Amino acid sequence: MAIENELITADAVEASEYPELADAYQVYGVPLTVANDKTRVEGGMPEQLFIQQILQGIGASVAEN
Amino acid sequence: MALLREADRENLRKELAQLQTPVRLVFFTQALDCEYCGLTKQVLEEIVGLSDKVQLKEYNFAIDKDAVAQYKIARVPAIAVTRVEAPKLLVTGNEQPRERDFGIRYYGVPAGFEFAALIGDILDVSAGESGLAEQSKTALKQLRDPLHLQVFTTPT
Repeated sequence: MAIENELITADAVEASEYPELADAYQVYGVPLTVANDKTRVEGGMPEQLFIQQILQGIGASVAEN
Repeated sequence: MALLREADRENLRKELAQLQTPVRLVFFTQALDCEYCGLTKQVLEEIVGLSDKVQLKEYNFAIDKDAVAQYKIARVPAIAVTRVEAPKLLVTGNEQPRERDFGIRYYGVPAGFEFAALIGDILDVSAGESGLAEQSKTALKQLRDPLHLQVFTTPT
């Protein structure tokens, strides 16, 4: 996703190696994706659903189709 | 002792042989208080050893403050995966390659599933191609505000 838009940055974080960070974000299951420190998307899912949940979560306008 | 098994090393060598545009693994480490820095470095050195298109650049998180700020590194061990692009126009013949940073970072040892993800990112960054569906690309390109994703995983 970060490749597609310069405004997007993506971190992969090894939760077990940063326990304080995992605590702060209340990581109880993986994968957990946190967008802009507020939107949480848990588990794996199809790409388009994932992107839709992220964009809606951060309040980005999404083109309907 | 090598971390990768010989068979895995051979498969990886073949996979990385596809690379055309070089990729730089910008690695942030520190000497003290970093349990996983040494292992991370070992993993990266093994990857870099398998392809002349993968470069390793190391910075010290405690000392190299300019690089930490430039790459916006939050903690160690950290890896930024960047693309080393040839200059668009050659005028003097002395133009240096340009580093393109897509904002992709790994925090922690890239092991297990994360190792495969890192290799996938190296291939994607080199190609400048996310591999996402066209519909996804269109949706993402419309984004006008910064989006910072943090994907938490565990080694499996």
